[in-house]
Amino acid sequence: MLKSDKGTSAAPLRLGSGLERWAERHLRYLMLAPTVLILLALTIFPSIYMFYAAVHRISPNPDLPWEFIGIGNFARLLSDGQFQVALRNTAIFTIVAVTIEFLLGLGLAMLLDKYIRRLTFLKTVLMIPMMLPPIAVAITWKLIYEPQFGVLNEIMFRLGLPLQAWAGDVNLAMFSIIVADVWQWTPFIFLLMLAGLASLPVEPYEAAALDGASSWRQFWDLTIPFLKPVIAIALLLRVMDALRLFDLVFILTGGGPADRTKVLSLYIYQVAYRFADPGYAAAISLFVLFVTIVLSTWFMKRMRLAE
Amino acid sequence: MVRKLCLTLAIAASALAISSAAWADITILVPSGSEGDGLRAAAADYAKIKGTKVEAVQAPYANVFEQGANAGATKSGVFDIILMDDPWIPFFAENGHLEDLTPYFKNAGLEGPDNDFLSKSLAICRNPYNTGPYVCLPYVGNAQMFFYDAAKFKETGVESPKTWDDVLKAAKALTEQGGGRYFGYVFRGGQGNPVVADFMPIFWSYGADMFNADRTKVTIDTPEGAAAMKTFMALRDVSPKGVESYNANEVGTALAAGTAASSINWPNWVATFEDPSQSKMVGKISYSPIPAGTKPGSSEIGHWTMGIMSASKNKQEAFDFMIWATSPEQIKISAERGNPPVRASVFTDQELTKQEKFRHYPVLMEAIQASTPRPRHPKWPEIENAFGIELSKAVAGTITPEEALKNAQAAVEQITGLK
Repeated sequence: MLKSDKGTSAAPLRLGSGLERWAERHLRYLMLAPTVLILLALTIFPSIYMFYAAVHRISPNPDLPWEFIGIGNFARLLSDGQFQVALRNTAIFTIVAVTIEFLLGLGLAMLLDKYIRRLTFLKTVLMIPMMLPPIAVAITWKLIYEPQFGVLNEIMFRLGLPLQAWAGDVNLAMFSIIVADVWQWTPFIFLLMLAGLASLPVEPYEAAALDGASSWRQFWDLTIPFLKPVIAIALLLRVMDALRLFDLVFILTGGGPADRTKVLSLYIYQVAYRFADPGYAAAISLFVLFVTIVLSTWFMKRMRLAE
Repeated sequence: MVRKLCLTLAIAASALAISSAAWADITILVPSGSEGDGLRAAAADYAKIKGTKVEAVQAPYANVFEQGANAGATKSGVFDIILMDDPWIPFFAENGHLEDLTPYFKNAGLEGPDNDFLSKSLAICRNPYNTGPYVCLPYVGNAQMFFYDAAKFKETGVESPKTWDDVLKAAKALTEQGGGRYFGYVFRGGQGNPVVADFMPIFWSYGADMFNADRTKVTIDTPEGAAAMKTFMALRDVSPKGVESYNANEVGTALAAGTAASSINWPNWVATFEDPSQSKMVGKISYSPIPAGTKPGSSEIGHWTMGIMSASKNKQEAFDFMIWATSPEQIKISAERGNPPVRASVFTDQELTKQEKFRHYPVLMEAIQASTPRPRHPKWPEIENAFGIELSKAVAGTITPEEALKNAQAAVEQITGLK
């Protein structure tokens, strides 16, 4: 008998045997328990609480009870002009920004994959914007767009072009935000597309080349179908992220000028924290959640990702 | 066994000692920037002198309101004192987040704050305004002033601008001379708080106001409001392209860099204008109270005030600290740290006024005495947002000034439930 075996006395074994057997039987649950508890505390409970808040009118005065108003907060959405403006702006931003990011990201990935595959440092450089904290990106672009001292207007001045207000001009403000977002997030699409391109099989292309298929036909009939799952994931993630745009708008324009850049996240923040109306803010958040779920489900079905 | 027990006890005791050292007797929520920095420094002094540990938690401007409102709504008691921008007072007071200071003054054998505080500074600390009980004490004496480049103005024949017409005359000439690189006027046109803050003094100087005297009627869309809007639009036309997104920083930078000749701004910018490392205009910028329209000019008051949170568990300690921090000696130290005072004795203190960096004090004291508070309403943040959207649209030219007034009238009526 080994010396260590002596220490394992029969008595504790007997005492703990029931517990041990129970633990062994339920080990998988025990292992999952911490994660489940954290999820419950940080995701499930707040989500349920948000549903609960959305059907109440909540006063900032803690001595006043929450008043149940059913769908009252949701009905308010129909007549709230600011919400409708924010919804329209969010839709414009999401569609335009994600489309440009996708086209640029795919184009860059094709270019690098085909012609400059060896320039790995270029790939790293292209990744930098994505790595930066959004708040730093927003402040950097604020400096670039600054009408009097910004580098962009300095270039315009030197080229003899008219100076622009960029983030301050009603016609340019949304465009300015889209440019900053495209700068930051095109690398994300690029990265996914590059990974997708690297995993493409070679044989179909060889066969297509033998059959005399042009580069365009190869791209359209082979590359795009092969990349479909990657494209779907990239677009899905970017759309979901674009729907909750906040930092750029908060720093660059504050939703202005003339409400042209007010997006849903900014409006939710204002309603919840500036106007101290968390019930209504919860209702708007649920609306955004609903839109996101519907869009992603439709998109996944359309791209046959769910299969 | 005994040794193990002693060791465990010793570790536990030292851990407890470390934690208790980290616990503060009073916690204050303060904004980032000079106001918060000043109070943090005062808190450190107080700990040394009185032995009471004061923790000053700093947050960006907007987050101070949010954190304070959240602490109040949840009765968390995490903050004992909040350093508030004065337009927030009705929100905090009327939602039960602030302690009525009357019993604390009584316990201290005082009637209330002493008469050395400027009357306008004290008026904003009562809720309802100037008549109700004290719910806070003034700490930083902000009120807008009119900043201008006297030499440039003189070139246009305007010696010292007394009215908005004078300002417009000089600003128009300077902008025309500037060729797109220099402007006669610059203002905060950013949607929301910025544009409202720069419009209100003009609004008041034409005899307009947001509500009637007893706050039973919204009075934005009036002939007085239209006259104010007309001047505001004329000022926009002589301002740089892009003011639609400007906040205090952009305005201050334009003045300090010498690319704009005049603006309304807060007194804490004086330090920047007079600092050679940050300004090309050292000694060149003059200060005056807000110019007159059809009525005498009135600046927007923007004091930082200290109130005790209702959920605080250390209310007496908090009150003692507030009385100490707002005493004449401490307000003078605070002024030396860069925060405008709230006491007449400090404004007229020769030791300070003879220094170049405090040369604006007589003007600032006059500006505070002629100031107006932002409309006192618990829903002010929402009102300001709605008004700010319409002003922003007018500044951007997407609607006419008349439409802006009409829309703002309707929006504020809807928010307040008034007609």
